[in-house]
Amino acid sequence: MIDWQAIIKEHGPAVWQTAYRLLGNHTDAADCFQEAFVSALAVSRRQHVQNFSALLTRLATARAIDQLRRRFRRPDCDRDLDDSSAVEDEAPCPAEQAQQRELADRVRRLLDQLPAQEAQAFCLRYLNDMSYQQIAGALGISTNAAGVLLHRAKARLRELFELSAGQVERG
Amino acid sequence: MSEKEDIFEKAVESLRRQEVPPGPPREVIDATLAKLAEGRDAPAVADVGNSASLRLWPRAFVSFGRIAAAAVVLIAAGYVAGRWSAPRPPDVEQLRAAIEPVIRQNLLNETRQYVQSSLANGYLQVKEELSEQYRQDMGRVAIQTLAASNTITNDLLSRLLDSISTVQVTDRQRFAAALEQVESNRLRDRSQLSSAFATFAVRTEDELMRTKKDVAQVLSYTGLPSGRPDSATPHEFQNSDNPDERNKK
Repeated sequence: MIDWQAIIKEHGPAVWQTAYRLLGNHTDAADCFQEAFVSALAVSRRQHVQNFSALLTRLATARAIDQLRRRFRRPDCDRDLDDSSAVEDEAPCPAEQAQQRELADRVRRLLDQLPAQEAQAFCLRYLNDMSYQQIAGALGISTNAAGVLLHRAKARLRELFELSAGQVERG
Repeated sequence: MSEKEDIFEKAVESLRRQEVPPGPPREVIDATLAKLAEGRDAPAVADVGNSASLRLWPRAFVSFGRIAAAAVVLIAAGYVAGRWSAPRPPDVEQLRAAIEPVIRQNLLNETRQYVQSSLANGYLQVKEELSEQYRQDMGRVAIQTLAASNTITNDLLSRLLDSISTVQVTDRQRFAAALEQVESNRLRDRSQLSSAFATFAVRTEDELMRTKKDVAQVLSYTGLPSGRPDSATPHEFQNSDNPDERNKK
């Protein structure tokens, strides 16, 4: 019998951080949080879970990316859902805060255009600081495959970022 | 490129370093626990299915065999029905005899339309070319005619000017000759008139002298006193026998 209350108490903050960092607002992060734990419950029914931390992080990342896809494919996707301004930031000035929010939002939009596994690998590596071995274990692939996946994800994301930067400069 | 890479790295870093409020909130934890409780209480469909399949696999195998047999029977029946209901192969000669006149007619019509359209296009093209050539020829002939008429007109004008100048010169010469003739006639008439006047004057004087003498003789014959001095004779009747003196007078 799994003590989900203890698991939430232990791994909840990490899941919340992962969800909130990717989604940028409280409502979506809460939905993502719940979906991640419900998915973890389903997984725990099918198989024995040894590392709940990695599983929950991967599930939170996957659900957050799904929510990003849904958000940016809605007709009103230009609406600013970011309520991170409520958070006290350490940025020195409002202009820099706005620039950082703009950059973060652009990365969120571009993550939507990556394949799901590449996006998950990228987030696990560069947002959650997981090692290649941890990513490979979480995604169920080999370490080399995780490296290739990360390389492709970063290259494609950089390419998309440059393209979007060019469009912003032209537009 | 490096600047873009820096911006990309900066964007990833911004996302990574984005401040996250402490959480999850209590209500989110409660809602999640409620959902997990619901999920725990709900029957696990996959597990139930797995256990059922483990228990009932011989029945499932029998059911699958029945379904497979029924599928084979249905396929065979369909094949037979298809063979029976399939149309016979068509008679090629009959089909050809039926289709050939139509094809010929269609081909003829299409060929006729093609030829007519080609002829129409060719006619229009030839007409346009001839019109263009006609316009060019007319323009060239008009230019040549204009140039020739200009040349002839200039020639005639030059001849006319020459003849006019010649006639004017001739007229001037004749007029000058006539003026010279008139002047010479005038001078000759003047000289003749002056000599005639002089002769008339000389003769008149001579006649007056002779008349004076005659008057004196007549007076002497009639006895008029002779002591009358000669001084009584008018001076103007005195005449000299010298022609030079008469000329001086």
